[in-house]
Amino acid sequence: MKKKHIGHGIAMDASEKFVTIFAYILMTVFALVAILPCLHVVSKAFSKGTYVTAGLVNFWPKGFQLETIKYILFQTDFFNALKNTLIVTIVGTAVSVIASVTTAYPLSKPQFKGRKVITLLYVFSMVFFGGMIPAYMVIQMLGIKDTYAAMILPFAIVQFNMFIVKNYFEGLPETIEESARIDGAGDLRILVSIVCPMSTPVIATVALLYAINYWNNYFHAMMYTQSPSMQTLQVYLYNLIQSGSGYLENMAGGTLTSNITPEGLTAAAVTLSIIPIILLYPFVQRFLIKGITIGSVKG
Amino acid sequence: MTTPPQNALTSKAAPTTGSLLAQKMRSLGYYLRQHWVLYVMLIPGLFFLFIYKLLPLWGLQIAFKDYKIFAASDPWSAIAASKWVGLKHFKRLFGSSQFIKVLLNTLEINFLKILWLFPIPILCAILLNEIRNKLYQKLCQTLIYVPYFFSWVLIFGIFYSLLGSYGIINTVITALGGSRINFFGDQSVFRSVLVFTEGWKEVGYNTVIYLAAITGIDVTLYEAARVDGANKFQQIWSITLPGLLPTIILMLIMKVGYILTTGFEQVLVFYSPAVYDVADIIETYVYRIGMGQADFSLATALGLFNAVIAFILIVGANTVSKKTLGRSIW
Amino acid sequence: MKKVFALFLCLVMVLSLAACGTKAPAATDPKSPVKDNSAGTEGSSSEQPNVPALKGPGNVTLKRLGYNVAFDPNTDINAQVLEESTGYHAEYYMLPAENADEKLLMDISGGADYDVVSASVNQWRTLVAQGALQPLDDLLEVYGQDILAGNSETVWNAVRGDDGHIYGVPYMYPHSKEIAMFMIARMDLLKAAGITEVPTTIDEFYDCLVTLKQYYGDEYIILAGPFRPASEGNENWVIPKTLACAFGIYNDWMVDENGKVYYMTEAEGFPDMIAFLQKLYNEGLIDPDWAINTDSTLKEKFTSGKAIITCGNRALSDFCSAALIENLGLDWDDLGYISALKGSDGTCTYQSTEAFNMVACIPKSSQNAADVVNWWNLRIKDQLYIMIGEEGVHFNYDENHQIAPINPIFAQERGNSYWYVDVTNQKEFEYEWPARVRKSEGQWHAFSAVTMNADQSIFVPNTFAFMPAKENYTTYNTTLFNSLQDYILQVMSGTRTIDDLDTFMADWKNAGGEDVRNDLQTWYDEFYG
Repeated sequence: MKKKHIGHGIAMDASEKFVTIFAYILMTVFALVAILPCLHVVSKAFSKGTYVTAGLVNFWPKGFQLETIKYILFQTDFFNALKNTLIVTIVGTAVSVIASVTTAYPLSKPQFKGRKVITLLYVFSMVFFGGMIPAYMVIQMLGIKDTYAAMILPFAIVQFNMFIVKNYFEGLPETIEESARIDGAGDLRILVSIVCPMSTPVIATVALLYAINYWNNYFHAMMYTQSPSMQTLQVYLYNLIQSGSGYLENMAGGTLTSNITPEGLTAAAVTLSIIPIILLYPFVQRFLIKGITIGSVKG
Repeated sequence: MTTPPQNALTSKAAPTTGSLLAQKMRSLGYYLRQHWVLYVMLIPGLFFLFIYKLLPLWGLQIAFKDYKIFAASDPWSAIAASKWVGLKHFKRLFGSSQFIKVLLNTLEINFLKILWLFPIPILCAILLNEIRNKLYQKLCQTLIYVPYFFSWVLIFGIFYSLLGSYGIINTVITALGGSRINFFGDQSVFRSVLVFTEGWKEVGYNTVIYLAAITGIDVTLYEAARVDGANKFQQIWSITLPGLLPTIILMLIMKVGYILTTGFEQVLVFYSPAVYDVADIIETYVYRIGMGQADFSLATALGLFNAVIAFILIVGANTVSKKTLGRSIW
Repeated sequence: MKKVFALFLCLVMVLSLAACGTKAPAATDPKSPVKDNSAGTEGSSSEQPNVPALKGPGNVTLKRLGYNVAFDPNTDINAQVLEESTGYHAEYYMLPAENADEKLLMDISGGADYDVVSASVNQWRTLVAQGALQPLDDLLEVYGQDILAGNSETVWNAVRGDDGHIYGVPYMYPHSKEIAMFMIARMDLLKAAGITEVPTTIDEFYDCLVTLKQYYGDEYIILAGPFRPASEGNENWVIPKTLACAFGIYNDWMVDENGKVYYMTEAEGFPDMIAFLQKLYNEGLIDPDWAINTDSTLKEKFTSGKAIITCGNRALSDFCSAALIENLGLDWDDLGYISALKGSDGTCTYQSTEAFNMVACIPKSSQNAADVVNWWNLRIKDQLYIMIGEEGVHFNYDENHQIAPINPIFAQERGNSYWYVDVTNQKEFEYEWPARVRKSEGQWHAFSAVTMNADQSIFVPNTFAFMPAKENYTTYNTTLFNSLQDYILQVMSGTRTIDDLDTFMADWKNAGGEDVRNDLQTWYDEFYG
């Protein structure tokens, strides 16, 4: 399979062969190191509870069962939490990408008046954080506590992501924009129909980074909501992990069967909750490849 | 901090007085008329910046106060109503005999992490790009990015079953006749555990960022280089790496800037009193002294200290990078 | 094109502003009534009979905030049971599992409209100290006679603030003399090594461990632990309490025969205890991972058969026995329980479990205080049905007139009722509660072996259980205790020594140790002297 693919184009020299083989070997090792421990978690989700607690499950399910997964899906708030997280992630990513691009573009223009001050404000706000209470109170005063907006608006611009976009814009050749300007195109038209299409790889990447950010947000989702119906996947997961065994001390609930254990539940919930965000990545990769072709045209 | 346009204005306005200033103003007016759309574009970003980032900075003053959350009708007014105590909370932070030790630990651990882990995502991005089978390439990319979605609590659970005194690795070691290694309790190996698990979680995520930058590199450059007889190493050295440089610098500046604050959750989950000497970092230490007190003032004082250091480091690193490499993030 | 772009911008702006705009009045709303209300309650406390009128069941929705649990308390059957029994509709909220204290403070100070907060003792003390709660004396007098009758005067005195008013209702630990922390031993392995009885003194215990080590070598972890089911307080000990009691140590703060308050480190037996633990560690008799074991690693070690003896409590015993019986084919006789060990001189001191479990309180912002108290009172009247169920359906009386639960319906329909408790009739609850232990064989087996057979003379009173909120104690004690535990672990693992005790005590004094002692001594002298 390997040989078929490396054949095309100019014949490979020794260095190229070496790098290719090295790449295959090392990335395979990395991929295995990354995924084996994860398999451990996935296997627990499908294994018999007593084997899970006893640590007898390694990288393959032992005593295969689906009760734990079913329990998570149908007896807990999983779907509601998933729905909340999906809404926050999708709407949030859209808002963030638009806001980041429209902020990064003016700031990437060297002649833009006020660029330095505004950029410095962003750098400043990247490190200085007012603390938990003022942030909470801003949310409270705006009256968006316990709404989706509270989980989106404060993170609409992650300065680091905005700088990645800005960096990329700065690296684009001036000439195309110049010629478009001579043709009478305004700033907005240049951004939308020239700069953005040339920047699909970085926009896709930043969209992914934002999506991950919203997806993983635990702390603020927890602080800014109070109704159980508003809890996101991460809040749901943390609570499941933490209270799986802790609170049943005085009067244990005693409703768990031998198949379902706190650890198995955690493993199942984690497995189910990372599937959607992992599926997002191959989707984004499509844009990375698209970027190459556009990139080569522009040169 | 003054801005360059003002600098230009004041220094040049002096000799030729009003006319040049007027000219400047006119050109500014012209620029604004030409590019007003650019300013309109900035509005949403500035809105977020002011409301959610700058407005809460008002609360930084509680670092210098004894914040009582019930001092007024709501926590916001309570900020103003609380008593000033000067540097009391900073003294609590720095006054302890432990402070120097935990500061050094923080620096050492995060320096080790940068040293070992910073180059790996770059290498990964370059190598992934060399895998010609697109399907396999995608598979590898996706697999190494999966660990990022595990929380530290869970990662501890996974690695404990691997590295615990009676875990899988130690079972193998004893089966081969070696003696057990206490990965979590032995001061000489504990930092390696921190670095390794951090790498395990973060490498894939950081690779994503470099991959985007690689796709931005002009493919024709490689073809031209190949025609010129450059081998693969030379291509990577003189085309890929320079193409990645802005991203590398951005990432490095950020890593250096946050050297005091990274790793809190990880250390908190992994460490134990047996390894405090090598593992206790500023944030875990403050977490312990403030435990069970909901001490907002102390937490804010720590945050402010960290922010000042981070700001100095980021601005400093950016300046160095601008001077030596001609690249900067702003 | 510009229009499209402008539209986009508008969308973003409108989205954010709309979100702010629509809800803004709602946010300021609660504040003004808050003031009216607090003025109202202040007025009521000066003029005796003037308490707010009841709105009555059905006319009000009560919002109750509790700690984090894995089920949704709104859909659990016990929510229905409460509503049927009292007529009041309630909505239930939970604190997060992490950062619960911060979230509680910000929610309450930010004017969140909870009517009831079920708080841990520490959380309650903080809320009282911050003045965030309504005084309940008059309300209890008018609407809560059954509540007042349910607990002793001593207990009520302990939920008073500095101004003498009652600021919470107590939910007491349901069994006052339980050996809550014990050890579970694999008798099959003990017997194979020639030990037929569980050890009862500290010397027997040591010999037992040594025999096991000689017999099994490195094959098994001899003693796994510690078991720390809570992150703070009395359930977070790194020293097994069953061992500590042999050295005269039963609490972080203790009182000598002259009424002098002293800290654990100042106890006569402390150096001996540390030396003993160090010896166990150095001789490989206890788990080398002692410092990092968690709930789940401990369970894993014991249920997989890697450990012979583990520290634990009823819940752990319940969990592990089921797994051991299934995984390793053991039966009940293969499980032994090591209770509080006697010292070399034959003495043993174990602190009684007479203490607060939780304290329920009403925030100042609540408009429904009268109905809350009425709700509590109705629940106390129907306590047996709410906590245990209906005779013949959920339980029967056995020959000793003890309550025997009927499974599985008891576990299904009353299994989670513990989360909803705000206040109990203590006397009745002590009688009813063992049924809740009895519902699970694993718990009952351990409970009857350890607690029901316990020598009652080993129990010492829980001296400080009923101390009201004291500022220094609230502020410093958790940190002090945690650093003591860290020190013990460091001595065990060899990174510090017992000779460092002076240094440790110096740090301890700097961290507020003496201030806490003064708080405790003052209160002790007033209360008992």
